[in-house]
Amino acid sequence: MLADLIQNTLDGLSIGAAYALLALGFTLIFGVLRRANLSYGAAIMFGCYCATWTHLNFGAGLLLLAAITVAGTVLAGAYVERLCFAPHRGGSMIAAMVASFALWMQFEELVTLVMPTHLYAFPALYEGAPLAFGPYTLRVDALVMFGAAIAACALLWGTLYRTRFGLAVRAVTEQPAAASLAGINLPWVYVRVFALASAIGGVAGYLVVASHGQITPMLGMWSTLKGLLAMMLGGLGSLPGAVVGGLALGLLEAHSQWFLGPQLRDLIAYLLLFVLLAARVPWMHTRSAS
Amino acid sequence: MDFYFSLAQLIGVHTLLGLSAYIVLLTGQVSLAQAGFFAVGAYTAGMLTVLAGWHLVPALGASALSGAAVACAVGFPALRVKGLMLVIATLAFGEGVRLFFFNFDYQVAVDGIRLGPLGGEGFRQIRFFPENGWGTGEVMLFMWVFVIAAMALLWWFDRSRYGSVLRAVGEDELAAQSVGINLTAVKVSAMTVGGAIAGVGGGLYAHYTTHIEHSSFNILVATFAIAYPILGGLRNVFGTLLAVIFVQGFLVEGLRFMGDWRNLLFGALIVLAMNLRPSGFLGGRRRA
Amino acid sequence: MSLLKIQDVVTAYGKIEALKGVSLEVAPGSITCLLGPNGAGKTTLMMTVAGILKPRKGGISFAGEEIAGRAPHDIVARGVALVPENRLVFPAMTVLENLLAGAYQRGDKKAVAEDIDRMYARFPRLRERSAQHAGTLSGGEQQMLAVARALMSRPRLLLMDEPSLGLAPLVVEEIFRIIAELHRDGVSIFFVEQNAHMALKVAQHFFLIEQGRISFSGTPGALAEDEVIRRAYLGSAQQ
Repeated sequence: MLADLIQNTLDGLSIGAAYALLALGFTLIFGVLRRANLSYGAAIMFGCYCATWTHLNFGAGLLLLAAITVAGTVLAGAYVERLCFAPHRGGSMIAAMVASFALWMQFEELVTLVMPTHLYAFPALYEGAPLAFGPYTLRVDALVMFGAAIAACALLWGTLYRTRFGLAVRAVTEQPAAASLAGINLPWVYVRVFALASAIGGVAGYLVVASHGQITPMLGMWSTLKGLLAMMLGGLGSLPGAVVGGLALGLLEAHSQWFLGPQLRDLIAYLLLFVLLAARVPWMHTRSAS
Repeated sequence: MDFYFSLAQLIGVHTLLGLSAYIVLLTGQVSLAQAGFFAVGAYTAGMLTVLAGWHLVPALGASALSGAAVACAVGFPALRVKGLMLVIATLAFGEGVRLFFFNFDYQVAVDGIRLGPLGGEGFRQIRFFPENGWGTGEVMLFMWVFVIAAMALLWWFDRSRYGSVLRAVGEDELAAQSVGINLTAVKVSAMTVGGAIAGVGGGLYAHYTTHIEHSSFNILVATFAIAYPILGGLRNVFGTLLAVIFVQGFLVEGLRFMGDWRNLLFGALIVLAMNLRPSGFLGGRRRA
Repeated sequence: MSLLKIQDVVTAYGKIEALKGVSLEVAPGSITCLLGPNGAGKTTLMMTVAGILKPRKGGISFAGEEIAGRAPHDIVARGVALVPENRLVFPAMTVLENLLAGAYQRGDKKAVAEDIDRMYARFPRLRERSAQHAGTLSGGEQQMLAVARALMSRPRLLLMDEPSLGLAPLVVEEIFRIIAELHRDGVSIFFVEQNAHMALKVAQHFFLIEQGRISFSGTPGALAEDEVIRRAYLGSAQQ
């Protein structure tokens, strides 16, 4: 019993690390633009398909595939930013949301046009046996995922708290009007934050796809929903909250799958989010989102 | 001719879906829960006609009631939050409903055949129309009775005091509150009416496709529901109808000659429409 | 030549015009005060000059260059800084980070460090609280920080929107002492104030804005002589 609990916790933390990355990307975009980017997951899926296509046609090493995933996601992110967010600055939140939704459909359509099979294999991060520690096992790719997520968090933290660009991002997040009065060029920050968030999403997408060893177009919706869920669980707009929310979501899923079965796993997460939101737990309302 | 009848059926169902989001949007709230109410209505009506042998009309009444009841029950907790929080809360609810039906088994033997919802397999054989010998044209007319009734109802709301109250809340909650409007009551009532309309739409949808499953009610459907009134504008109900015709009639059917590339253009045209007219085809007032 | 010249500026929120054709001039090296009741358009005018709001019509020139409709960061780069109403410090950033943000456009690290030292000398409380989050400061300290942050861009013209709003009388006196000091150091100042008594002590020129239009322009002497203005802005308020 205790052994299962510990094993589930380990599994939950490793998938939670990927959720944390997805949530970080969402949080960056939300914090700075105050907009929900529904096509975030679709852009990640596009990036992952770029890598899959390269792998199928030319074959490529793991690192190169990771780089292509990130580049493809950033490219897709730039497309989204130009079409959905740049035209609606200071305007309607819904118009931007509907537009980003339309682009989501475009990305799904594009990948199914170019790569019509429902499922493609993706080179796995590691194909050996899992590491065994006494009764517990730890998949090596899960370990890599966890390590990469921590490295990405550290890198992001350094960028935000130790660079001039990070200063601008934090200023815009806290007080957009005051930031522009301080001489910070808001559109310049928006575009770069979008690129940064897309790059983080690309890393998350690559890790998830590589540890599953396969990819389907559902990855887009999956990433958007998991990222939103983790961001909300951790408190909207808080970067440390995004990491905590991601890990919490991973743990919640791992344990509820064990105790209640895979069918109820996803349901529990949504139910919890709904209850927490409606109950207005304080940490979720640190930043006004209206 | 059947092609146009089918298209009109599709447009009718989507108009109901859009109208259910329209009335909620009037109060300035963005709800992604409409697909959930749509699902509740679809399963309710389907189970009543198939398993209980009801006629479709009372079954649709039950769809409206169940959609309204669920919307009301969700509205009270959900509408305590606003803006993006509400979007996510209603999204969580909608996905929750979808996953509920993904796990929902309730099969009964009818004339020796096991019928009813079967989890991920969905709910097949909702054959009220073919069993009663209704042609496509008749089904289309039957459906549009409900669409026109819903449009008339909302049109009348818009012209009445209730409509001004809804719009007052949508424009400025503080100001509305200061003239004595009960925000919660207004928002929940709009959600409830929206739930009833979505419920009827779901009931009709279940019967004209004859087969429903959880994925027919995912976040894409929920986003379509709010996309219609946003694209059409909130000036009046015709904006929503116009947007449904634009999307389902022109973009989906009219561009079929483009073949596989249609959907890429589809997305681009929605983005273009949104960028050129951020308040919708028919204008309308400030939104959330 | 005037430093700031505003000509027939119209700024609107949707259909409602908050400024209905405002014209005024601020002389270089002066302290100019804009008086007016609530809702007259004072903040709108400041935000329009700073570029946060775009004027629908009219021109704004600063040091001979047209700045109307330019982006706020561009206007900061040309030498205009606004201390916004309610200060708007970055609450979860430290005092030092707030100051660095104010110098965002300047690449000269050494000169920025010197300026920060200068700010700390002028506002010793800020030095004490350098590593503290700005959100934990008192109202008066936040106002000092907002002024210091604006000065970090080395503006030629400092705009201040109600610097005394919500502050205790002693703190208000300090703020006005600082305004006078900054002026002596060569910064031109154009500020919005409701506290006409304090403003009379420092400002050299007054404008009165009512319902989106300038209704009076003159020296402190002329202001004090105008019966209507005296009753409205100086009459009952005894400090």
